[in-house]
Amino acid sequence: MIPELTYFLIGYSLLLAVVSLILALRNRAAGRWTLVGTALLLAMLLIQTVVSVLMWGQSPGTDGILFFGYLLTALLLVPLAGAWAYAELTRWGPAVLAAAGGTVAVMIERMNQIWM
Amino acid sequence: MHMTDGRDAEHEAPRSAREARAAERAERRAARAARSPYSAIHTGPGRFLTAVYGILAFAAIGRVSYQLLLKFDEAPFAYTLSALSAAVYILATVCLVIGSRASHHIAVAACVFEGIGVLVIGTLSFTHPEYFAHDSVWSAFGVGYGFVPLVLPFIGLWWLRRVQRSVEAQRG
Repeated sequence: MIPELTYFLIGYSLLLAVVSLILALRNRAAGRWTLVGTALLLAMLLIQTVVSVLMWGQSPGTDGILFFGYLLTALLLVPLAGAWAYAELTRWGPAVLAAAGGTVAVMIERMNQIWM
Repeated sequence: MHMTDGRDAEHEAPRSAREARAAERAERRAARAARSPYSAIHTGPGRFLTAVYGILAFAAIGRVSYQLLLKFDEAPFAYTLSALSAAVYILATVCLVIGSRASHHIAVAACVFEGIGVLVIGTLSFTHPEYFAHDSVWSAFGVGYGFVPLVLPFIGLWWLRRVQRSVEAQRG
């Protein structure tokens, strides 16, 4: 894992979670921009996947099943949460995104620990 | 008279394709609700709850399949417990998604089981740490999952009770 990309990913998913939480507290539904924001997180996770595969040989002690298990889970979680948040036309749509964003941030941190 | 007609027409016309689709969904939801009022279980706050249950079930499946397939010999008790809790989280998620009378009652049972499980195992992990050298979801009251396993069953029970009350109120 590249440290800069890792910190950026954690920061961005936390930002998405906080913005979604504010939207939920202000009683707004998820709109086009939250969908774009979620898609961006998915795109960054895909970049992380490519980077991880390319850098795989550089970290011999890493448990591959555990690492890619986390990555794959995050890759599935983000689009599901995005679609579900968009389908709900109340404040609880962004609330779903807030939960997913926080989860992804924790998962990236766990991936970082596994990689070390 | 003319003005109100104009305003009504404007109000009824869908403002975007997304709202048109949402209106269709609302109609389908109303049709479903007419069949089973329990389908309200996964809308509004229930959607958030179902999503959090889904994430937890997802996390539990991932963790437990890794533990059972590759590390079962290290801590059979903790890992069997993880498998049991994962199964109950999956059951609860599926029940919330289905949203019928039967699934509502099964979800209540699942939440009660989870609540008791996290309290009992959380306490045991402090009084008898020798059984919990390896973590399960419920060890130390679910600290590894941000205490979500401790809070979730009680929020779940509150929500299920609210759905039950609204169903009873509809029946009169």
